[in-house]
Amino acid sequence: MSDHTSAAATAAHSHAGRYLVVWAALMALTALTWGLSTIHIPGLAGVAVALAIAMVKGTLVALFFMHLWDQPGPNRLVLVTSLVFVAVLVTLPLLDNATRFPLANPPDAETAPQRIRDAILNEGPPAPAHAPAHP
Amino acid sequence: MHSAVAHHFESLEKQGQAQRLGMWLFLATEVLLFTALFAAYGVYRYLYTGAFSQASRGLETWMGGVNTFVLVTSSFTVAMGLDAIVKGKNKRTGLLFGLSILLGCTFMVLKGFEYRHHFLHAELPGPFYGGPIAGSGGSMFFALYFLITGLHAFHVLIGMTVLGVIGARTWLGKYDAEHHVPVELAGLYWHLVDLIWIFVFPLLYLI
Repeated sequence: MSDHTSAAATAAHSHAGRYLVVWAALMALTALTWGLSTIHIPGLAGVAVALAIAMVKGTLVALFFMHLWDQPGPNRLVLVTSLVFVAVLVTLPLLDNATRFPLANPPDAETAPQRIRDAILNEGPPAPAHAPAHP
Repeated sequence: MHSAVAHHFESLEKQGQAQRLGMWLFLATEVLLFTALFAAYGVYRYLYTGAFSQASRGLETWMGGVNTFVLVTSSFTVAMGLDAIVKGKNKRTGLLFGLSILLGCTFMVLKGFEYRHHFLHAELPGPFYGGPIAGSGGSMFFALYFLITGLHAFHVLIGMTVLGVIGARTWLGKYDAEHHVPVELAGLYWHLVDLIWIFVFPLLYLI
């Protein structure tokens, strides 16, 4: 971090070398995550590895291409605050669906009881138990 | 005092900080816009785990991968464009922004070929899904695929427009080493588009 009070001070010196290093790192990490996907890490570990690499790449872009490294506190706080809400928005709906009574999820979801799932996948949606009375 | 300073700002520096803060607030709303789609992706991936990985394996990974390299490189050329104007080289910034727009075009063309492939194979959302996956999983995957990549492609188009306008104005000498915040903000928007794709690529193509 350099001088907080002066925008000119942060921009006065060249960042070309820094950009080049970050670009090389981003290209290498893209190749790495692509390569790792071809060996099919099973289950959640594969998801975790892919997301961890994406987060490292995202951090590099935000800190150096987007200059948060040189920015005063308030500008950094804006992005950090939005990331807190990203975490809330992604995890809470997931926890909701994961902790529901299975039949409260879509009937052909892979979390539904196998018997119901088989019936739907083989025979189409079930007819309603009670046909609505004709008015 | 520099002519670009609005009357309610004391100095160019203070105006620049206010402009950056405003841009970051806007970018935060953009992040949350995409987060809504990522949350939907998370929920449906949990409900249709097998179908989603099957559908994901059916995508042309090389196209997503090449597009990632293209966008990352375009972010680099935009960053170098800012570096040029900081040194007062306005023509170089114009050229680098033009190069970034060309890379954006490359991204869109590849994306177009990819969409064409999906349309020809009936890999479409909702009732139009005619692919091999039984149940709702396949059509849900492609509903989210088209929503996420479509919204992102829309942002690429806006970003290319912004780079075009600001790049042209820089070429014409409207900005200089002292007054370059608009160039920086155009770059911020483009980097955000890159940042979103960095997460879209593994979520849709790799896992």
